[in-house]
This record gives sequence, C-alpha cells and structure tokens, in this order.
Amino acid sequence: MKKIKDERLILINLKNIRFAYIIQTLGIIGILGYDLVTKGLNGMRENPLWIVFMVSIVVSAYLSMNVSVDHENNEKSSKKGLFISLVIVSLISVMIGILTSLSEGFTIINGIIIGGILFVCGLVPVLYIYYLRKKRQEDNPDE
Amino acid sequence: MKNKVKIARVQVDLTQQQLANKVGVTRQTISLIEKGSYNPTLKLCLEICYAVNKSLDEVFWIEKESGGEQ
Repeated sequence: MKKIKDERLILINLKNIRFAYIIQTLGIIGILGYDLVTKGLNGMRENPLWIVFMVSIVVSAYLSMNVSVDHENNEKSSKKGLFISLVIVSLISVMIGILTSLSEGFTIINGIIIGGILFVCGLVPVLYIYYLRKKRQEDNPDE
Repeated sequence: MKNKVKIARVQVDLTQQQLANKVGVTRQTISLIEKGSYNPTLKLCLEICYAVNKSLDEVFWIEKESGGEQ
C-alpha cells in the first residue's frame, strides 16, 4: 500500500480516526457503566478496560495542556504561576495527609504516604505546565 | 475560495491528472480546489504555482470584498 501524501486525504483520515475514537470511547464508557451497575465500583475497576480508559484520559489531558498553554494569553510570569500552583498542591497534600492520619484505622505513616502520593501526582502536571509556559516564552521573546 | 487554478492549468496545457501528479496529490483534490470547495495549504498553493509557472498572486489572489466572504 502506498503512503498517502495528499494533504486533503490525510485530513479526512484524521477526521475519520477522530470519529472512530468517539465511538470507541462511547463503547468503553458503556461497558464500564454496565459493569458499574451490575458489579459495583470494585467490579468495574477489575475490568482491564478501566485502565485503558484511565490511561487514555490522562494522555489526552496532558496533550490538551499543550493547547491550553497556547490558548491562554495572560501576561503573568510563569515563575509566579509555578509558585502559586506549588503552594496549592502542597497545602492540599498536607491537609489530606493530616486528615488521613487523624481518621480511624489509619496511622501517621498512612497519612504521610497518601499525602506524598498526592503531592507527586500534583507536582508532575504543575512542572509540565511550567515547562510549556517557559518554552513558549522563550519562543516568543518579544511578548 | 475562488481561484484561477483552472485557467492557469489550461494555459500551460495540463490535465487535472497531470497537474495532480506534478504536485503530488490526487486528481480529486485538484478538482475540489478548482471548484473552490477545498482550501489548500500554502505549501500546496506554492506547488501548484511552480507547476503552472505563475506567482501566488496571479493564481490565488482575490480582492477583499466588503462584508462578503473572502
């Protein structure tokens, strides 16, 4: 099969893939919804489709950060944004950590672990957004 | 979008298929561009201009209509 070089056909192909992706996602949501009704939340999570669904949502969220960074046109510095985000992420992790260690059946170690996991999970997108904003500013120095 | 691809193509005595081969797209794409129902990328516009020995201006320029579609 020859590789398609026609730009119009490439575009149509991409649109077709988007349509197929929508159908696939609707199907996955349908199957997971059925599992949720018949087997409950834990039964749904045992389905490998759950992991597929979550991974694709995370990937699409990271990819859409690329778009949203270009879309926003705020003039505030990326360093300030990073600082605010870091403070918020730390506050939320510490609060959840403290609440976890205070609740019944959980030790302080549990609280530290859960707070730490939350912090790392929040840190990655914050750093990624910072990297994207910085890169954009370097690309347009006159902005 | 209106353009003068068809006139330019006839002037250099090319068929749609020949022009398509020269610029590396399918005949259907050339046909749609001539009808004005496909909006080619700037890269493809340039390729077409090279193939018909004309400038971008001569083939694709249209005067801005006041209030109408461009």
